[in-house]
Amino acid sequence: MVRERFSQRLEDLRSEILEMGELSQKMLVNSVQALENIDLELAKNVIEMDSIVDDLEYDVEKATVHLLALQQPMARDLRLITASYKIAIDLERMSDFAVNIAELVSKVEGEHVIPLAEIKTIVSITQMMMENSMKAYAENDAELARATAEEDSQVDRLFYSNWQKLVNLMIEDAALIPNAVDLIFVLRYLERIADHACNICEGVVYIATNQRVNLN
Amino acid sequence: MSKNENITNIKIENLDLWYGEKQALKDISIDIPKNKVTALIGPSGCGKSTFLRCLNRMNDLVRICRIEGDVLIDEQNIYGKDVDVVDLRKRVGMVFQKPNPFPMSIYDNVAYGPRIHGLSKSEVDERVHKALEDAALMDEVRDRLNDKAFSLSGGQQQRLCIARTLAVKPEIILFDEPCSALDPISTSKIEDLILELKKDYTIVIVTHNMQQAARISDHTAFFLLGELIEFGRTKHIFEDPQIKSTEDYITGRFG
Repeated sequence: MVRERFSQRLEDLRSEILEMGELSQKMLVNSVQALENIDLELAKNVIEMDSIVDDLEYDVEKATVHLLALQQPMARDLRLITASYKIAIDLERMSDFAVNIAELVSKVEGEHVIPLAEIKTIVSITQMMMENSMKAYAENDAELARATAEEDSQVDRLFYSNWQKLVNLMIEDAALIPNAVDLIFVLRYLERIADHACNICEGVVYIATNQRVNLN
Repeated sequence: MSKNENITNIKIENLDLWYGEKQALKDISIDIPKNKVTALIGPSGCGKSTFLRCLNRMNDLVRICRIEGDVLIDEQNIYGKDVDVVDLRKRVGMVFQKPNPFPMSIYDNVAYGPRIHGLSKSEVDERVHKALEDAALMDEVRDRLNDKAFSLSGGQQQRLCIARTLAVKPEIILFDEPCSALDPISTSKIEDLILELKKDYTIVIVTHNMQQAARISDHTAFFLLGELIEFGRTKHIFEDPQIKSTEDYITGRFG
């Protein structure tokens, strides 16, 4: 194999993206768990993890510039590098949303207005989308990417039905407004995370097939 | 899309070439479009320079070379019996890897072709000035036309060779790695020049520099072991090649 160093650097780039994916997923799961149990310690832990993801994004950016400037990548390599950079930006945004959820934990007053179990479905679909988008990236699997993005419509549906439920609660009882608004934000963050997972899936399809698709 | 997009200037059909027993080109068929830059890429020994030299019958000079198949320029087979090779090479000019000016003045280098084709002194003078302008060299040599050509830098010498080619008014220009001996600034001048020249000429260029092929060509042909593996628009060849060996070569994984 020629260009071993180049191949190694591409592998390093992929590993960094996968690491960002793992961390963002963990941050999402932990932020929701922290919210459910009003666990301030766990929420703090999520907020602290954000800087690791930020550093990884910066490393990916550096690696991208380095590879473009010094290696003159072509074809599939070029697609992998440019799409990975965009994916890193999506992952960084996803972890920011997890931080946003974690930051709400300290604001919850008393009990949640609805049992958090009711929004667990949207959480688990969003988390599965994150996981599968990264699996599709790792395995260069355009089919899995397309299938994963299709789940987004379900997330959107759940977002609107839960949103409606919370709005009704607020109409009935103004005292519930502070907590209900926070939960609406949580739903919004989850819905946005799923959108970013779709962006990642678009990147995977581009890397694997050179096709520009809109899966969102 | 230019008006000449679909006009084939050079049509090659089932071209085979042997050096003695060794077959160097195998069943090559390709249509080279008019007023476009077509790049030939591939590893050393793949046949791209041999192919280039078929287009103005430079391989005639190789005693052991045997050719079968057709090379048609504007529908005329250039290997036909009635073809005048001198006339052919006037129509199909060539610029080589290393600048090869004649040991004479800058002016005489460019005037050489028009003179042997019997043009008058004033016609020759006009051709020399036009060719030096078109080769983007005039501004640098205007006051020293009678200086020796060897007093020029490598990049200037190569543009002088291009001017010498232009002076006989060819239709097609073949470039055989024209920048391989030049520094990046001279290279970029030649590349700009090639992009300018394609308005008036059909250009075929052999290059080992993949970025150069990507930058200046409209179409790219990838050769390997004497075969034409893939030919298409440069954008497609470099962004999404259809054949694995093309992708392996352009991504540097060939070996």
